[in-house]
Order: sequence, then structure tokens, then C-alpha cells
Amino acid sequence: MRKPRRQARFFWFTVFPTLLLVLFLVVYPTIKGFIMSFYDYTIFTFWNPHFVGLRNYKAIFSDEDFYQALWNTIVWVAGSVTFQFLLGFGLALLMWKPFKGRGIYAGLVFYPWAISGFAIGLVWSWLLNGTYGVVNDILLRLNIVEYPIHFLSDPDWAMFSVILINVWYGIPFFAIMILAALQSIPRSVIEAAKIDGAGPARRLFSIVIPYIKPVILSTLLLRVIWVMNFPDIIYGTTRGGPAGATDILPVYMINTVFYENDYSKAAATGVIVLGILLAYTVIYMKVTSFKELEL
Amino acid sequence: MKIAAKVIKLVLLSMYLIFAVFPVLWIFLTSIKPPYEVYTFPVKYLPSHISFENYKKLFTYSDFGKYFLNSVVVASLSSLISTFFAMLAGYSLSRSKEKKVYYIVLFLFFAQMIPAYLVMIPQYVMFSRFHLIDKLIGVIIVYSGIGASFSTIMARGFFARIPKELEEAAMIDGCNRWQALFKVIIPLILPGISAVFSFSFVNSWNEVFVASLFLNNSEKYTVPVALYSFISKAGVNWGFLSAGLVVALVPTIIIFAFAQKYIVEGLTQGATKF
Repeated sequence: MRKPRRQARFFWFTVFPTLLLVLFLVVYPTIKGFIMSFYDYTIFTFWNPHFVGLRNYKAIFSDEDFYQALWNTIVWVAGSVTFQFLLGFGLALLMWKPFKGRGIYAGLVFYPWAISGFAIGLVWSWLLNGTYGVVNDILLRLNIVEYPIHFLSDPDWAMFSVILINVWYGIPFFAIMILAALQSIPRSVIEAAKIDGAGPARRLFSIVIPYIKPVILSTLLLRVIWVMNFPDIIYGTTRGGPAGATDILPVYMINTVFYENDYSKAAATGVIVLGILLAYTVIYMKVTSFKELEL
Repeated sequence: MKIAAKVIKLVLLSMYLIFAVFPVLWIFLTSIKPPYEVYTFPVKYLPSHISFENYKKLFTYSDFGKYFLNSVVVASLSSLISTFFAMLAGYSLSRSKEKKVYYIVLFLFFAQMIPAYLVMIPQYVMFSRFHLIDKLIGVIIVYSGIGASFSTIMARGFFARIPKELEEAAMIDGCNRWQALFKVIIPLILPGISAVFSFSFVNSWNEVFVASLFLNNSEKYTVPVALYSFISKAGVNWGFLSAGLVVALVPTIIIFAFAQKYIVEGLTQGATKF
């Protein structure tokens, strides 16, 4: 009788600190944020907030900028994830067969993973600068454009530009995931297809893709959540501007905190984002039918 | 035909390499230009001579050394805390297939999906009550909590590869569970632990929103907050900022260079296997 009890004690003793951290710093704040969204926490009422019912939500839902941010979020996620995936897949295929120096190559092309999105945003603001930017310089020298493009300050170009940056940033992640999946395909399967006379395209579509489909699906779906909640690059470049052209929901929320100091309205935006996240997760679970979650 | 395919592959790989490396290389080149060569158009690609003027300005006109130190303290301590706890929990969660384990892992899985910026406002209110605003310890606690769930899932993945027989043998030899864990198991998965640590270190080093909200006193700025403050002021001095960016990037790139293999392993198993 003594041994199982001691085992249970060991189990809870080791798991408890992590659970406590997560409960205190993730779960409780989530609940607290929900409650806050019905109060009026601003810089003036911070220590003495009043219950205001649905006022914050009404303010958000009657704000045109919110709908623009909602639409921008969809464009941002769809544009980023599609191209991150396609190019990441391409890169993984190119790197599949071992070649000399592949390890170093992988290190060189994957390093952006370690850099903060915010810093990436700043780096690219300099590259894409409309007056002194090196990208404009190259485009002009190659006679591709006649005048410099104001990539980040022209509302027609801004969303394209931040997506471009995000694609650059996200390709390595997809390449890593897909490369790992590719390497799990048994060589014999590929060899057998080769012997049967299947060309590269045929092998790709009828063997490789079906084989790694679960990884592709779960990576794509999880990445959507991640990109949707990734304001860092936009905050390093445009902060949602010009004229709201790159204002996605997280940026909308952070601007409410940093510039309006309206914590409750931001909390209410957070609740809305969390709602979207939850709905999406349910769809994700349905699509993958919990397969990835089996222990 | 085969040679043509090889050449195409080589060209594509080289093109991507340039695309991937160029932005950071360009920031580096900008940072070592003499300040008067930073703003030229058409662009001057290479500096006429290497100048550390921008770096000198960075460390004299701003307190960048201090910010760097703050970042080192925050990132190291928070990742030490979360890695240590993740190690303990990850071990126990990898050793049993009971229902409660399933629910705890599921719980952690959902918790790590909640992004930091979404909970930072309630955290700000909570921490204001405890007088932890404008203190590094406040940010350290927040980062430990943000990283805890993913680190645990990742650590669990590494522990799961160690056969149970190993610690059973150790326990037969007279070790208790703690000794078996610290003397037998952990030395074996040290690479995995260092991956978990690197992962949270990089994340804490890079975090900007919580830090900007929590740290208003410039004495306490971390590197990202400092960079943020450089662009908040009227106009951006790109020579100055590029030097700051290079200094900010160096630690994470070094860590990545050392731990890349294990980080990649941890990432792929953390996100696909549950």
C-alpha cells in the first residue's frame, strides 16, 4: 500500500509547480480578462473600476476600424500561411536528398527562427525604406520600377509588404516540419515507386503527399493560429498603419493598450480573439479527429 | 537531364540562401558603415571603411549595456525556472499513461495556445496589485509562466524516449526516484533539456509587448523595449538602430548555432506528437 501512495506523491510533487505557474499566469488571467471586459479599467479608473456591462463590446462592434482589422486578419493569415507553406514545402523537397554541406545550409537558412518578429520587422523596415531602402535600389538598378515604391507607407503596398516579410520569416518553420516528415518516409516505398516507373511528379503527388498529409494538415492548422496571433512583425514595421491598412486584431488590441490606455476595451478585444481562437480549435479538432492528440 | 536537374536545384538553393541571409547581412553592413554613408541613394553597398561609430554611439548615447544586462538577467532566470519545472513535470508525465496524465497534457496543450499578448493586460492589473510593475522580477515571473506549458510538452517528448527499464534498474540498485531522475535519466537527456532551455531563452529574449507594458522606467528596459523606444522618438537613426539590432541578434543566433539540431527535433516532436 505504501508504494503507490509514494508514487502518487512523487507525481504531484513534480507536476504541481508547472500546473501552478500555468494556472496563475495563464488560466487565471484569461478569466480575469473576461471579467475586466465588463468594467472600465482606464488609466484614470485603474484602481477604482466600475461595472459597465456590455459597453466595451458595443464600442468595439460599432468601431469601423475593428471590422477593417478583422478583414485584414483574414488577408494576413491566408496570404502568409499559403506562401509560407508552398515555399517551405519547396525548400524541404530541395533539401530532402542529402548533399554536401546540408547541415550548414540548414543552419544558415533556418536561423531567422531565432530572431524576434519585432526585430525582423525593424530589419525589413530599413530594407524596404521608400527613400534609402536597398530593395528599391535593386529594383531601380534592374529597371523593374521607375520610381521607388513606398512599401510600408503606401496603403496599397503595406499589406503586401508585411506579408512578404512574414513569408520570409515563416518558410524555415514549414521547411523544418515538412523535412522531418519527409525523412520519415521509408526509402523502400520511394524505391518501389521508382522501379514501377513513377516519375518525380507522380511520386510527389501519389506517394509523398499522401504519406505526410497528417503532418501537413496539423502543421497548417496550428500555424494559422500562430500567425493570427503574431503582431510582432507588423509592430516592428507599420504598427497597423498607414490608415489602418495593416491593422490586424492583435495590433488593434495592443494599440488600444499602448495608445488609448483603455485596458478594458483591449480585454474585450482579447475575449473576442479568444472566441475566434476557440471556434477555430474546435474545427481543427474535428478535421484532425483528435488523431494527433492520442497519447 | 540528370545534370540539368542538379543545376536547377543548386541555383534554387543558392537563390533561397541569398534571400534568407541578405536581410541580416544588410543590417550588419549598415551598422559598420560610417554614419554619413548610411543615408546614400543610390545605395553604397560596401562601406568605404569599416567604422564602429554607430556602436560607439549606441553605448554612449543610450544605456544599451544596461539594457543588454537586463535582458540577460530576465531571459536566463525565466528560462531556468521554466526549464527546471518543465523537466520535473515532463518526466512524470512521460512515465504514466493514466487518464489524469492525458488530461493534464491536454490542459497544457490548450494553455500553450493562448498567446502572451492576450493575457498581458489582466497580468498587468494583477502585478500592479503586487507592486511588481517596473521590476525585472515581474517580467521574469510572467515569462516563466508563458513558457512553462510548451517547455513541459517538449521535455516530455524527450523523456519519452528513455526506456523505463533504465530507472527501474537504478531503483533496484538502491536509488530512490529523485536520485534515479537526477543521476540516471537527466544526464541522458541533457541535450533535450538544453533545447528546452534554449527555446525559452530565445522566446524571452525576443519578447517585446509584455516588457513594454510592464517596464516603463528606462533603468529597467530590456533590449526589445530599448529598440522600441528608439523608433518611438521622432525619426529613426538607422545607423544607430542597426547597431542595436546586431547586438540584439547576436545571443540568439549563437544559441541557435549550438542548439539548432535539438531545437529542431524538439519543435517537430512538440508540434506533431502529443
